[in-house]
Amino acid sequence: MNNMPPLIAILIFPAGLTLIFTGMFYEWIDRKLVARFQNRVGPRWFQPFADAVKLFAKEQITPGLANPFLFFGLPIIAISGALTAALYVPLMGLAPVHSFPGDLIVTVYLLSLLTMCIGLAGWNTSSRFSLIGATRSLTQLFAYEAPFLLALLGPALAAGSWQISEVNAYAQDHWIVLSQPIGFIVALIGLMGKLELPPFDSPEAETEIVAGALTEYSGRGLAIFKIGKSIELIVGITLVSAFYLGGLDGILPYLLKTVAVLLVMTVFQSLLTRLRIDQTVGLWWRFGTILVLLQIVFMIFLRGYPL
Amino acid sequence: MNIEQNLQKAEQLLEAWKKETTHPESNRLDVSISVDDLHPAVGALHEAHWGYLSAITGLDLGAESGQLESLYHFCNGAAITTLRVRLPRTGDAALPTIEDIIPPATFFERELHEMLGFKIVGARNIDRLFISDDWPEDVYPLRADFTIDQAKPVEGRHADELPEQGVVGGNTFVVPIGPQHPALKEPGHFEFTVDGEVVTAARMRLGYAHRGIEKAAESRNWIQNLYLFERICGICSHTHAMAYSLGVEKLAQVEAPARAQAIRELVAGLERIHSHLLWLGVAAHEAGFDTLFMYSWRDRETVMNLLEQLTGNRVNYSANVLGGVKCDIGLEQAKAIKDGLNYLETRIRHYLEVVTTDTMFLNRTRGIGTISFAEAENFGLLGPTARASGLVRDVRVEAPYGAYKQFPISAVTAANGDLEARCVVRLNELLVSCFAIRTIIDNLPEGPLTVKMPRKVPAGETIARVEAPRGELFYYIKSAGGENPARVHIRTPSLCNWVSVLEKAVGRQLADVPMLIAGMDPCFSCNDRLVTVTRTGERNTWSWKQLRQYGIEYYKQ
Amino acid sequence: MNINQDQLWVKVAKKVRTWARLNSIWAVHFNSGSCNGCDIEILATLTPRYDVERFGIKLEGSPRHADVLIVTGPVTRQARERLLRTYEQMPEPKFVISVGSCSISGGVFDGCYNVGGSVDEVIPVDVFIPGCPPRPEAIVDGFIQLITHLKDGNSPPTRIQPITEKAADEYRTEFTKS
Repeated sequence: MNNMPPLIAILIFPAGLTLIFTGMFYEWIDRKLVARFQNRVGPRWFQPFADAVKLFAKEQITPGLANPFLFFGLPIIAISGALTAALYVPLMGLAPVHSFPGDLIVTVYLLSLLTMCIGLAGWNTSSRFSLIGATRSLTQLFAYEAPFLLALLGPALAAGSWQISEVNAYAQDHWIVLSQPIGFIVALIGLMGKLELPPFDSPEAETEIVAGALTEYSGRGLAIFKIGKSIELIVGITLVSAFYLGGLDGILPYLLKTVAVLLVMTVFQSLLTRLRIDQTVGLWWRFGTILVLLQIVFMIFLRGYPL
Repeated sequence: MNIEQNLQKAEQLLEAWKKETTHPESNRLDVSISVDDLHPAVGALHEAHWGYLSAITGLDLGAESGQLESLYHFCNGAAITTLRVRLPRTGDAALPTIEDIIPPATFFERELHEMLGFKIVGARNIDRLFISDDWPEDVYPLRADFTIDQAKPVEGRHADELPEQGVVGGNTFVVPIGPQHPALKEPGHFEFTVDGEVVTAARMRLGYAHRGIEKAAESRNWIQNLYLFERICGICSHTHAMAYSLGVEKLAQVEAPARAQAIRELVAGLERIHSHLLWLGVAAHEAGFDTLFMYSWRDRETVMNLLEQLTGNRVNYSANVLGGVKCDIGLEQAKAIKDGLNYLETRIRHYLEVVTTDTMFLNRTRGIGTISFAEAENFGLLGPTARASGLVRDVRVEAPYGAYKQFPISAVTAANGDLEARCVVRLNELLVSCFAIRTIIDNLPEGPLTVKMPRKVPAGETIARVEAPRGELFYYIKSAGGENPARVHIRTPSLCNWVSVLEKAVGRQLADVPMLIAGMDPCFSCNDRLVTVTRTGERNTWSWKQLRQYGIEYYKQ
Repeated sequence: MNINQDQLWVKVAKKVRTWARLNSIWAVHFNSGSCNGCDIEILATLTPRYDVERFGIKLEGSPRHADVLIVTGPVTRQARERLLRTYEQMPEPKFVISVGSCSISGGVFDGCYNVGGSVDEVIPVDVFIPGCPPRPEAIVDGFIQLITHLKDGNSPPTRIQPITEKAADEYRTEFTKS
């Protein structure tokens, strides 16, 4: 796939439009499953798409205190980051469009870009709710980033490579989810934190700070951030399933495995109460990071790596 | 101690200051005192722990008598002692404050000030609680000669002061919650000053739902008022109507038939189930546990069905009429109610298990907003909020009214006083209610549903206390013998419970604040029915500092 | 730049836009002094038995995200400015649904000294849902009425301009100034 014209790869397939639609579809699965768990009918399949189109067609209000350049620029940067990240993961079970040793780090960095942009956007609009939302977003970023990366390092260490496609290939023959169960759980929870899904949704806790960092965003800006989130959802799921479930080498196994991961995430979402931000940070640093570190040390010990 | 002994004791305590003593009803003692004696008299009752201050009613006796009257109602079980103070209507109408003795009285005094124009001497804060900021000075809506023309907005003032935007300085923000805020489905306005995530000050402003019902009641006849009071609050509409009916019936010296009384208690029980399940859902939603919210509201629909089947309405049931009830319970309804209760009981047991065992939910409730027994007493808390701290404040138990004499219930209490305890108390109360409803259905007295009520109610005054889902509901009704009431004063439980939020929010995380607000099950529409305003554009809020000051002063004594 | 309105892609784009608007209605709720009854019934429409999410209707916290403003209750003196302010904060196109008898006429509170009267004296209202309180089914029906009337670009069922349009204008200029 490395010979595909980059522009097409980025704009249409496998990233770009295809990715946006798939992302919306996954968002729908997420919302529908949560609704079903809550005993409701839930939204129709085109709901995220209709939401996005509607938001694009709405008036965009720029708050007086915000820097307009940042106000319009941040959503674009956020979505570009998310789309670029998509190039390095095996979407749809296809080989990544780009691949080089160490692309794992780049992908994780690009995924964080969205959160950074949301944080900045909240700071820029300087409404009190968005300021607190932004602070919480960034606090959470520092909390989950380390355990999430460490959890992804486990399979990478096992495979002996920091290249996503190689880890994916290695995971095809090894049941990493069984050999590193702690890593899998931490990676999943880290991903939920990254996506600010319940119970880690205190950055946008409706009952406290309205809609968090994006409170003042309307119309296009909001739509782009929402699309960015759904892209992040699909890229994140792909990454976690590639590392722990492996074998994303065809459309069918891809769908099965990613939807399975999504299902686990929706169960967590509907079962758990929102954590306060201090509890979130505590959870990740006290349990997440330490458990994953233990697991990595254990692995290194088992495999006889020089320490 | 029975009622008579209690009243005798009160009489002895007040011996030194009384000018005139009457017993208007068997459980009431009316003591007239002079203004200068008010402070020591209240102090004596308080020192002897004779009950608690339930409400302060202000009356305008009209131009002929030229007097204002202020009634301090103390309740001790079923016994009520009322201190009467009369002041000239013109001039200052200066009334000494009693907030140094009983801190929560400040809310009542502020109400007196803004509604009737009493000058509260020595009060630290007499900002208006309810009325809008553009209300003119020296116009008091509950004065007899008030007309709507007097209330023209003052030029250059907003109806409410908008909170200042942006950062206040350093790391401190003011986070406004309300009046339009997803945490509150009702309008109230809170300002929490936060340093990072920690709340350092709390202020509140009420009055967005203030409609002026007490004034409106004076111009409507006895029957119209029933429907007006039912719409004070959409959640506890039945309790409001019941309290009003009980009071008016007492005044008119008719008694609703036993069957009607029983049906009233039954509907009140169903209403309590609906209210508490609703509360559980809202609390879960505030905590970010939407699944519990959805489930409890789904099960709440069972009660809504029952209420609809029984009365024809889902929300404002109008089950009461003066002199009885409107709806009867047939075999079919009895069976439906029992089936519904069977289902609900299993669900309530399940929710009890959830709120006491779910670790993530306990993270947000256990040990948060803890109110000790002494604090609960000091703040003058009522209802489940007080009972969760071990303080038995339940009119149904302390002073059984209506059918509660025949079908008594037991008070549910808990010791911890935190949010978890409040969840547990409320859910256990539901089980008690279910049991009571079953008993009523099995032993429903035979007989008519209504008795005839006179169109005009004889002159007199009475007090009706009813336990609403949120706590004691206090109705003071005065009749001048006409077709309209002369004055109806309503004190709702939420007004007494606010202090639990403001006091407990400080020092907590911002994330706990919605939970704390939900923890007392606030009801703005109940609260605000009265009136309000602020004077010279000053913010009508209550700072924690002031509140703390009350506490400090109080404990010094 | 003038776009020829007859071009096919313009028509298709318009169709898609209308379709999206009808199928994704985000509402924000404002209580202007109601007794709670309506508010609870509005919340009840979110819960399993009625579940309006199946129509794409969602309750949002921020007025900036919302398409529809649901107002309950008679407009009290204090709530009036806040109501206008919330309405102003919403991006176009925006619609207003007024729920309950009080919000339509003042209901039982008509004539109370702190009650201004109906919502349509303050902001333009598109759909009125009568009832005290209206059942959740009626509220869902109100939404559906709005949706059906907006189809094919029709104007909303009853768009009443505020009686006090001048006052609203004055407020608007003041709002933009600050």
